[in-house]
Amino acid sequence: MEIDMERNNNRKRPASTDLPLQWSQWQLLDSILPTGGFAHSSGLEAAIQTRVITGPEDLHTFVVHVLENTGSLLLPFVYTASKSPSADTLCKLDRMLDAMLTNEVGRKASVAQGSALMRVAASVFSEIPLLKTMRDNFLSSGAVSFHHAPIFGLVCGLLGFESETSQRAFMFITLRDVISAATRLNIVGPLGAAALQHQIAHDAEAITEKWSNRGVEEACQTVPLLDTVQGCHGYLFSRLFCS
Amino acid sequence: METGKIVIEKVRGKSTVTKSFSKYPLKFIIPRKVGPSRVDAVWIYALTYGGGIVSGDDISCKLEIGAGCTAVLTTQASTKVYKSLGSKCSEQSLEAEIGSNSMLVLIPDPVTCFSTARYFQKQVFRVRSDSNLVLVDWITSGRHESGEKWDFTHYKSTNNIFLESDQPLFLDTVLLEQGSIVPLAERMQDYQVIAMVVLLGPMLRHIQGQVQEDVKRMMAKQLQGSPARWDRQMKSNTRRRGYCSNSFLDNRISLSIPEASIGWLGGIAGFVALFLKNGGTVEVPWICSTPWQYVLELLIKG
Repeated sequence: MEIDMERNNNRKRPASTDLPLQWSQWQLLDSILPTGGFAHSSGLEAAIQTRVITGPEDLHTFVVHVLENTGSLLLPFVYTASKSPSADTLCKLDRMLDAMLTNEVGRKASVAQGSALMRVAASVFSEIPLLKTMRDNFLSSGAVSFHHAPIFGLVCGLLGFESETSQRAFMFITLRDVISAATRLNIVGPLGAAALQHQIAHDAEAITEKWSNRGVEEACQTVPLLDTVQGCHGYLFSRLFCS
Repeated sequence: METGKIVIEKVRGKSTVTKSFSKYPLKFIIPRKVGPSRVDAVWIYALTYGGGIVSGDDISCKLEIGAGCTAVLTTQASTKVYKSLGSKCSEQSLEAEIGSNSMLVLIPDPVTCFSTARYFQKQVFRVRSDSNLVLVDWITSGRHESGEKWDFTHYKSTNNIFLESDQPLFLDTVLLEQGSIVPLAERMQDYQVIAMVVLLGPMLRHIQGQVQEDVKRMMAKQLQGSPARWDRQMKSNTRRRGYCSNSFLDNRISLSIPEASIGWLGGIAGFVALFLKNGGTVEVPWICSTPWQYVLELLIKG
């Protein structure tokens, strides 16, 4: 009886406006969302071919390195964009990040993922028309190259996520994508990968805590070796991933 | 208040120092006869009393290079950052304005931080679309003969390049500090030196091309053949033997060069990060003995 009433109430509601936030949240983090994250290995493929990683035990360290560098370099951009999700802020952040990503492979990967996310978000989260207008404006003006971290922050901010959640979510998808790349490069099996992901979550949380809520002027590289290794990706003889 | 300032202008067709000021602990030496006389360049050696930077020192420098001038700023030996007292940090900052059609070559010896040292360096370059800059910024793991490897407490180096009206062109900050989740020494693996080389501007275009060619050739050699076969059962003891013999790490150097990417500027075409293994000896097969000598040799050749 009660359930029926609730159903009736639900039917009267307009679509999506007062849908619990979690539906959008989980969808944004779901690997099925076609943002192309799985085309990227965050330098893992280059690290294997250049023998920086020589055994499965190195993978754990490598993933933590990726998270550390993501936290110090990109989290400030996610934070600032999610705090003030406006076209002006995005423009400023995008230009700044473009000058900061000095490794071409990483820069291209960031642009590819950001553009894809913006495209997906503009058509999926249609209850926020601003996403679509912003995308159209930027596409026609060419003022923005759609770097991933600020776009992710922007989308989170417009969807109404807490900035802590947005930042942790960015770390989560980074972790998810590297682990997924490791599986496809056959470094770990799917079950081992899941176990590893959970195991690293503690470190990931500590890194998130350390680097969250910082302004972009504090953004920096903390694992320069990673940046260099990723830069080698373009020279690999055969490759599976874009970066 | 800055501790040093140098202004270079074109006087009777030659790059000339028209203003030079420095105070403790900084000193400039500007010898006349460094390069061949046909080369128009001012050479500046920056030195500090005691051969290093003491905890709490704050050195700030300003450099103005007028239109059409060339200046080289270098050091006589590595910049040593001594042990820190308490939480005091040693700081060095440089602000350089590079005029139209002029060139700044900044080729210091590497920074060597002693154990527990804290060091912060910030270099800001303001350039025009036709300015030229060679920038080498490098750091060694420390006094590794005494067993100090990546043993300092804090190192932060910022290099920012801005175009007119504060447009960011290149922003880079590297932070290496103790107390992260992964220990610093582990983060740097077996590498003892990291170096960054920036080659910017139309006068350096041929060098950018040559470095890119060199890197392409080197990387092709490094990465040729079948990709590493992954063996999940591989034990850690086997990886020390044999498997690494042809290893990338053993060849002492890796590079990353994004191709001329910021198209509308036609500016930075080469950004090179060199990771040299066995830093103390700096054995780099394709470079003379230090990166900057390589750069200079190319400059002279060009």
